[in-house]
Amino acid sequence: MSGGALDGVVRDGNAHSGTTPGVPDRGAGQPVLRLRDLTVEFTTSAGVVRAVDGMSYDVFGGETLGVVGETGSGKSVSVLAALGLLRTPNLRRVSGRALLGDVDLLALPEPDLRRRLGRDVAMIFQDAISALNPVQRVGHQIAEALRVHDRALSAAAARTRVVELLDMVGVPHPGTRYDQYPHQFSGGMCQRVMIAMAIANRPKVLIADEPTTALDVSVQAQILDLLRVARQETGAGVVLITHDLGVVAETADRVSVTYGGRIVEAGDVTQIFTRPRHPYTAALLGALPRLDTASDRLLPIPGQPPDPSELPPGCAFAPRCPISRGRALCTELRPEPVPDGGGAGASACHFPDEAASLLTARPDGEQAAPVDERAEPAGTRESAGAPVTAGGPAAPVLDIREAMARFPVRSGLLARPSAWVHAVDGVSLRVPAGRTLGLVGESGCGKTTLARLVLRLVEPTGGQIMVDGDDVGKAGRSQLRRIRRRAQMVFQDPYASLNPRLSVGDNVAEPLRLQGVPHGRRRLEVADLFTRVGLRPEHADRLPAQFSGGQRQRVAIARALASRPGLLILDEPVSALDVSVQAQVLNLLADLQRASAMAYLFVSHDLAVIRQVADEVAVMYLGRIVESGSVRRVYDDPRHPYTRALLASVPVPDPVGRAGRRRVPLGGDVPSPVDPPSGCRFRTRCPLAAAVCAEEEPPLRLIAGGHTACHFAEQTPGLKPAERTPALKPAEQTPGPEPAERAAGQEPEVRG
Amino acid sequence: MYGYLIRRLLQFAVVLLLGSIAVWGFTFALPGDPATVLLGPDASEAELAATRDRLGLGGSVVEQYVSWIGHAVAGDLGSSYYSGQPVVSELLDRIPATVQLAGLAMALTLLIAVPVGTAVALWPRSVVGRTLQGYLTAGLAVPAFWLGLLLIIVLAVQLRWLPASSDFVPLWRDPGGALTATILPASAIAVHTSSVTARFLATSLGEVMGKDYIRTARAKGVPERDVIRRHALRNASLPTVTIVGLQLGGFLGGTVVIEAVFNYPGLGRLLYTAIGERDYSLVQGGVLFVVATFVLLNLLVDVFYAVLDPRIRLT
Repeated sequence: MSGGALDGVVRDGNAHSGTTPGVPDRGAGQPVLRLRDLTVEFTTSAGVVRAVDGMSYDVFGGETLGVVGETGSGKSVSVLAALGLLRTPNLRRVSGRALLGDVDLLALPEPDLRRRLGRDVAMIFQDAISALNPVQRVGHQIAEALRVHDRALSAAAARTRVVELLDMVGVPHPGTRYDQYPHQFSGGMCQRVMIAMAIANRPKVLIADEPTTALDVSVQAQILDLLRVARQETGAGVVLITHDLGVVAETADRVSVTYGGRIVEAGDVTQIFTRPRHPYTAALLGALPRLDTASDRLLPIPGQPPDPSELPPGCAFAPRCPISRGRALCTELRPEPVPDGGGAGASACHFPDEAASLLTARPDGEQAAPVDERAEPAGTRESAGAPVTAGGPAAPVLDIREAMARFPVRSGLLARPSAWVHAVDGVSLRVPAGRTLGLVGESGCGKTTLARLVLRLVEPTGGQIMVDGDDVGKAGRSQLRRIRRRAQMVFQDPYASLNPRLSVGDNVAEPLRLQGVPHGRRRLEVADLFTRVGLRPEHADRLPAQFSGGQRQRVAIARALASRPGLLILDEPVSALDVSVQAQVLNLLADLQRASAMAYLFVSHDLAVIRQVADEVAVMYLGRIVESGSVRRVYDDPRHPYTRALLASVPVPDPVGRAGRRRVPLGGDVPSPVDPPSGCRFRTRCPLAAAVCAEEEPPLRLIAGGHTACHFAEQTPGLKPAERTPALKPAEQTPGPEPAERAAGQEPEVRG
Repeated sequence: MYGYLIRRLLQFAVVLLLGSIAVWGFTFALPGDPATVLLGPDASEAELAATRDRLGLGGSVVEQYVSWIGHAVAGDLGSSYYSGQPVVSELLDRIPATVQLAGLAMALTLLIAVPVGTAVALWPRSVVGRTLQGYLTAGLAVPAFWLGLLLIIVLAVQLRWLPASSDFVPLWRDPGGALTATILPASAIAVHTSSVTARFLATSLGEVMGKDYIRTARAKGVPERDVIRRHALRNASLPTVTIVGLQLGGFLGGTVVIEAVFNYPGLGRLLYTAIGERDYSLVQGGVLFVVATFVLLNLLVDVFYAVLDPRIRLT
């Protein structure tokens, strides 16, 4: 592809002065990093795979370029290759140019390249905890970034500078933290350390590769703010690589959309989101669940993201494209990026003007997937449970009363439990048939433990859990097996939750086999289940490895449906999936529920997904429900400061008016569930906290048609949170080993 | 950190106790009165009486063990049936020689294993990497005693560069002489053990090189040499430390076959002869020493783990 095509794409002239005030206009008009016709090839058993296929883009000083795309679109591989950080043995070829100023990084010998890495161009990686060396002090790791480029810098001077940096990125007690190790830091704190390391040498280019993907929304908001400050501090050009359209809309000045190893559309952020000129961009926006507006139905992109080993000869998106309609031009000729009339953007589509129409045409249920019809007969088959009319009072399928789960923290010589993790601490919920309860909260809040309690995969410490009138906690062995047949679970990771040695058909047939269904009938039922979840029955003999993430999750859903449950527990079922595929799975779940009146307990950290799927919502914080009610009540009239802060932290995929958007600064991390704060557990991070909050634990009260556990629930709508101050400094925390917050939800025992 | 150390120390004490009971108990497995077993058929009545007293043979089983271990801790392990010397002084005669051989063998092992393991991990597909992999396979396959014989034939008998066998020359008195006296048996041992160690190192280093924090170090601009030295090797050393500790324990227990081949006056040969002569007092004392050394080395490995990896200190 011609790098020249995007050469002409000069960024919107007033991108700086207009949308991002206060950005130093360093090197205006002169890009700090230029990728030209970058191509990356791997040798695999399936032949040569071109993961990046002629990618070109520019980054200017002081601006943020968002590179957005799905898994395997080449967005990360391209920068890693450009910086010589791609080390897989099957790397075959990297060609093109990566110009840092006038120097082509790809042409530099390794030692010369290293002299520029970390000094002129720095990277911030996803999953900061594993990106830091576990056996080196955090301060030393930052100091190394300084000293490797400045041999004259003394150890003492480096330490002073590192403590300054740690303070700047909002690490409390930087002097003490300097000497600690990464495992003593939370995920958000580790990412702050990574950022300190990256900006230590005031680089010209800052590349952030999915910097907030593993983080909770409240921490994500802090990190995004910090990135903005880092850009202002250093004047660097920032490349923000992400799959999250919301993050791009919140932070980027310009956007490049990647698909199949190429940039399919580039342009100003507002233009990309309001007048996309490539159907893929438009389709992605349609597939995205929204926090602000609930739509009846998402518009998924049909099919799967392209396999880079077998790209079609024409446009890579053509097989999934809603506007191609099989036009010969699309299937035969690969479109090159063409600048639009204004010169502000470019689109690699033969029919760029038709793309924008996809956004305006947001049909509600008109384009219902064919799955819908296939699911119909299944509903009639469900003879036992007649679909309950929505709204009618129905006996709850799942009734949780004061459920409690505690795990011992063992310490000392004899590993006696010295403290307890209150993972779930007195939670009551009800889910009627045909309805979905969305359970939302940050990591470590106990939502996964609660989901596991329902099937007694975790032993309850107290309370009562009834599934269809049967007490799960008191059930004996055989009764528990019967309950588990009626309540099935779909797990987060479809790669880990299917047995890789069994064919997908056998995976799905497993529950039937356990029930003693004869072989012949099993095959028929599996074929039927495959049809219901939108898989081809003839693929039943394949192994899970031959399927993509979204297809695997369909297999997992089919397996859950095999025993005809009345209750599905969905533990983050779409968080491992790409946006376009996520929409398919969410629609499938909606269709299945409509057809069979199953009750769903839908656990997610993603507020937009919960808004899309749920009827009722419960917000969990440190083992307790802080707010619950209908979707409308919780999202449109949130009364708990935590709910409000969470909602405000979610990046909105709409760049228009982002400068005016108000952010509630929710600092710090979730406190340890081992020793939760007295009174209201949220008070340590609450902007409204008063003396009463420390003394009295607020009960869930009926307020405005929902339940809220806050002393000030009546006043919250009137209260203006502090004006948009960047959530740089988190709440003061005591330094020292931070308890493993994630452990609470996942491991039955935490050793302290 | 202290909790970890104290837990390890307690485990050490328990293992040592069980090991010593096993060593003590073996005299009961042989026919006859333990005192006669230990002293042999030609012992005088006075010797037998002294040994019976040491073993506390009149009392209960617990009393007998306590009496024996009490004497052992005080340095009284009885006398050798063959030489009549106290077992402790017989052992002390040989321990320096064994420690010297073990130390040199371990030094050679590491000297070979670290560069070879690193090279194999970093350039598995290169000519160097493949050649070294060949060495590792050969090193594992060739028996140490056979290699020892080969070394003697070539270097000692034919070329006459080094002595085929010699008395123990302490390193602190004559470093050069000690080296020439010990280098052959040490090499024969090190070829095998370095192949094992290098394999462990290569595997864990190869794994560590793919970790995210290695990529971070590169992205910081750290030269590749320092990436490996400062970031990769320390993380990769944990499994290697375990195997090195086990190997060193093996060396100190006496490399029986090698000492026999080279006629080296170490603990291994002492035990080997003692077994042949049914000198059970000496065998018992020697085995007790070997067990204690092995368990102690494992404790040291655990402590070293905590030094290397801060995460272990917390558990």
